[in-house]
Amino acid sequence: MPTLDLETIKKEIIDSQLWRSVFRGGVWKDTPRDRAGHIIGNVWLHLHPVKARPRALEWAYTWGMGGISFALYLLLTITGVVLMFYYRPTIGLAYRDIKDLEFAVTLGMFLRNAHRWAAQAMVVSVIAHMVRVFLTGAYKKPREFNWGIGVLLLTLTLFLSFTGYLLPWDQLAIWAVTVGTNMAGATPVLGNEGPLGALVGMRINNDVRFTLLGGTMVGENTLLRFYVMHCVAVPLVVGILLILHFWRIRKDSFSAAPYQANEEKIDVWPHLVKKEYFGAAMTTVFIMVWSILQNAPLEAIANPNVTTNPSKAPWYFVGLQELLVYFDPWIAGVVMPGLIIVGLIAIPYIDTNPKGIGYYAWKERPFANTLFMLGVVMWFALIYIGYALRGPNYAWYWPWESWYMLKAAPPPTWSVFGPTGVGKFSMFLGIPLIGAASAAWLLLPKLIQKELDGLKTMGAFLGVIALFAVGGMAMGKMGPIEGAFLLFFTGASFYFGFVLPQRHIRTLDWARYLTTMVLVISTMSVLLKMCARLAFNIKYVLTIPSISMNI
Amino acid sequence: MSYRKAFIVSNALLLGVFIWAFAKDFLAPWRPYQAKYYEMAGEVLDKQAASEKDPKKAADLKAAAYKVRHSPMEIKQIIVGDLGRFDRCVTCHVGMDEYTNPTLKNGFKENPYKSHPKVDEALVKAHPFTKFGCTGCHSGQGLATSVEAAHGWVKHWEKPMLKGVHIQGSCVKCHGNFETLKGAETAAKGKKLFNQHGCQGCHMISGFGGTTSVALDDIADKPFERIAGYNFKRVRIDGKELPDEHHDSHWNIQNWILGHLTNDPAEVTPNDPFAHLNAEPIPPSGMPDFRSELSREDADAIVAYLSGQTKEEQIPYRYHVPGPPAKDPALSGLAHGRYVFQKYGCAGCHGIDAKLGRRRINAMGPGQEEYDEKMPEAQLFANMNKGAEPTLPDLMGTYKAAELITKIENGVPAADAKKWNPKGPLPMVTMPAWKGKISKHELDDLAAWLLSIAKKDDSGF
Amino acid sequence: MSEATPNPAPEPAKVPAAVAPAAAPKPAVKPDMSRGDFLWAGWAMLAAFGAATAAASARFMFPNVIYEPSQKFNAGKASSYDLGVDTKWLNEQRVWIVRTPTGFYAMWARCTHLGCTPNWWGDQNRFKCPCHGSNYTLGGDVIAGPAPMPLWRAKVELAPTGDLIVDKAILENKPGKRENAPFFANYSPA
Repeated sequence: MPTLDLETIKKEIIDSQLWRSVFRGGVWKDTPRDRAGHIIGNVWLHLHPVKARPRALEWAYTWGMGGISFALYLLLTITGVVLMFYYRPTIGLAYRDIKDLEFAVTLGMFLRNAHRWAAQAMVVSVIAHMVRVFLTGAYKKPREFNWGIGVLLLTLTLFLSFTGYLLPWDQLAIWAVTVGTNMAGATPVLGNEGPLGALVGMRINNDVRFTLLGGTMVGENTLLRFYVMHCVAVPLVVGILLILHFWRIRKDSFSAAPYQANEEKIDVWPHLVKKEYFGAAMTTVFIMVWSILQNAPLEAIANPNVTTNPSKAPWYFVGLQELLVYFDPWIAGVVMPGLIIVGLIAIPYIDTNPKGIGYYAWKERPFANTLFMLGVVMWFALIYIGYALRGPNYAWYWPWESWYMLKAAPPPTWSVFGPTGVGKFSMFLGIPLIGAASAAWLLLPKLIQKELDGLKTMGAFLGVIALFAVGGMAMGKMGPIEGAFLLFFTGASFYFGFVLPQRHIRTLDWARYLTTMVLVISTMSVLLKMCARLAFNIKYVLTIPSISMNI
Repeated sequence: MSYRKAFIVSNALLLGVFIWAFAKDFLAPWRPYQAKYYEMAGEVLDKQAASEKDPKKAADLKAAAYKVRHSPMEIKQIIVGDLGRFDRCVTCHVGMDEYTNPTLKNGFKENPYKSHPKVDEALVKAHPFTKFGCTGCHSGQGLATSVEAAHGWVKHWEKPMLKGVHIQGSCVKCHGNFETLKGAETAAKGKKLFNQHGCQGCHMISGFGGTTSVALDDIADKPFERIAGYNFKRVRIDGKELPDEHHDSHWNIQNWILGHLTNDPAEVTPNDPFAHLNAEPIPPSGMPDFRSELSREDADAIVAYLSGQTKEEQIPYRYHVPGPPAKDPALSGLAHGRYVFQKYGCAGCHGIDAKLGRRRINAMGPGQEEYDEKMPEAQLFANMNKGAEPTLPDLMGTYKAAELITKIENGVPAADAKKWNPKGPLPMVTMPAWKGKISKHELDDLAAWLLSIAKKDDSGF
Repeated sequence: MSEATPNPAPEPAKVPAAVAPAAAPKPAVKPDMSRGDFLWAGWAMLAAFGAATAAASARFMFPNVIYEPSQKFNAGKASSYDLGVDTKWLNEQRVWIVRTPTGFYAMWARCTHLGCTPNWWGDQNRFKCPCHGSNYTLGGDVIAGPAPMPLWRAKVELAPTGDLIVDKAILENKPGKRENAPFFANYSPA
């Protein structure tokens, strides 16, 4: 009787033609050659280098957010494909199919939850990945282009979330998408409600919004379009960009972590691969537990005649929605997001600071880090306001106030320059005055060649504002809260928008300086407009109704 | 922790959590109910087998019991394509599934096991489950398979199961002749009360009635988004506030309507009469307080009638039973005048048979104190609340028939009202213009009747 | 166990003996449980996770509810049928209800050749398929044409209410079986 020797059987299997044709290489002996072969010989792993610097693998350095984002993308692909088996994108069936997923399909609720929560987690992880890359200066030469691809991937992640939002065809879906696509209708020139749009013949049935919706309102065509974009078109583009993103990382020596003397590189197999696996597995476990414990929301079936109250976008867009309270749609919905995307892509080209590549360096890059983090904090502060502090009728409710409380009707707003504003001649008075002020803000920090004393400058500015506020209070035009608002917002704008640029970037060449200043001033104008609205009920600073131009 | 251990732990977690997820999905809430039903039905058959003397019949019963006990666990549904309904209620209410329980009868007492009551009566026989589903009459969420969701006791399902007599609203949806039907008596009573008390004077239904307040053609579809949360919070049913949770079953349109009849509407919708929150004072709801005239049963009857006023459901024409066109009774003279008064809902403001002027907040009214700016708000409000429509018999004495007809035809503009509190809101409810709505013949009789009930003063007028 | 049976008395004495060998292998276990063995446990659990996912996916592909008319239907009161073939359910359910002097059977109106719907010709007392000319008797047996086997009969039951319940999901066409329950419902008017 032949003995059952496991080792012999194993050898027989591995030496067989079938096994050898699938897995090249012999018995695993864990030699450096084996480890390298594992990476090189595997189509999935060969985007990795064979060896990497140990610093590049530390959790504290990478946060693992890029890998986790990719794991979430894979998880979303799998759950998404599976969900497609029970979903039909038509108005009559979509909502019922979601109810079926909840109530009648095996694991349907779990899969839908997992898809929803993984999507939200991916938004967080992609933003965290971007913040980490920024803080370690890893976007600098030669990785500028890959940073740009990353920004596009972030945008597409949000767009995927947005298109997926419509598919359940509930109240949440239809109103989030109605508001979102109406912003497209406010695009300058291309949208029927945007500045100059009417002049070039844009109507409700031939503008960019019409193309996006496939109709004049969110309807059957829109659902189908968003379905195709969500399930096929956008994932395809994301896949292509991901390949490019990964390939570039590989080509750009994998990590920006700086070389150190006597540093010995370590094998990617198993040191990096095991971390990636652990990250992906724990991400999956996290999403699964979350999906078991909490169900994805589903509101009443979409009703184009009834808007929910309050009606809110998904949380990652609530910041934009909050901006819509202060600005006209073409600014908040088109110009601002456009500026954010373009500005992010431009960062590597305007940041000429050679220091801080591949390590955390706040002191060596005070301007870049401060302004970027200010932007991130503002983004999340706006999300917090929109998500937590807005109640019925989108009125401001503090966290301790019940939504059942009646709120006073908001006071009437007014405009500074406009036909019925304080300055009646927006064209002859408003444009020159605002233009001059903007130009001064834009140019002064560079024109003052000597570095100003930050403390003294701030003190002087705050002093002037305080005098102004006291004067206003004395005249009965404002109260102490308005005064505090004025002091805080203008002070912050002055510090981040004037003192810091004057100290750090006045030596830049004109092209980079002006680009930077445009981005900085745009960010500060958000703060100033919020102050103007919240404290002084100013609707517009300048309004020219004849061309739908309001700022 | 080494990565070797991490590999093992993370894989164990993957496996364990996935099994957890599958178990949670597998142990769906409907499962225990269906299992218990099969068990109970099997027990009944076993008992019958035990008392059966014929051994062949006993064996058959035993076999049937075995079959019932081993029925497949499944989500059962009634598909009614005509009405767009897919009702999975029979997944738990197995006794009402005609494939599992062909007789549709069993001896069980408690839900969800008991069979549908009165299956032999004409009402149920005329509405076979395969053609009407469950939610066609009962409302609720037919697609759901968990207790709270299926009965509609969840947020975002605004048509929960109709309770008690309110279900008679479902008769009204299709039966134009519901007033003659056995089983729809409460809804019929509701309609009668609705017209008697002059609700149609302000609320139009099917194109008939006044325009002072909202039309009620689709009141059963009123979205909760249009009801301010703080107003819902003020609704008291039997003196009790509705439970706090928005998604509780009590936040439904039936309780909202009931709230208007069993509370003072001016308390449910007080608005802003002293301009605390707005630049101008905004008067409370102008709807009269009907608490003294309608019992709780009466109010429920009206709610049942109004629960059938829906436009949202696409009910095919072949489900509709048209009623005969409403015919005016053959009356003439004063009796006809009195009927006209009732028909057009004049009672809504002037009281049944014009006997009382109903409340009109901040108008002049009997028993008011002298206006004093310094009164506390509660006292001000109490006085404003005493404002009333004129009591017609007191007023008519000075009118001639032609003047009266002109006044009814043209109405009285709101701006003409005299305020008790000059800083308070304008009294809301005004006499609408009836020109073109009431025929000449009807007007003549109405005026004659009004003059006949007018109080004559001493001078002999 | 077998050693214990002849003499159950000295059992207490056995306890220390049992403890001793258990204690002895302990140091020997350690080298066996090498790191590699643990890793296999990890792979095994990964494989189990994969298998569980695959099994759940397979289960997922079987819908729990379908939006088709039920294969079962209520064909109305048995007493409402006359002797012979009744075609009233043909358009809705594709079934002929046939009543014989002793009871009912329900025939699925699908030609066993290539699936066309045959027609009932009462004047010739046979079913004829318009596609390739198969002919069937009243009982469904082939008497002409290319059809390879008799017509299928569906399950039919007489409910306690007197209604006929037909279930097209359960079919039979073999002589000898098709004449018995549940493919034939005995019925004799009382």
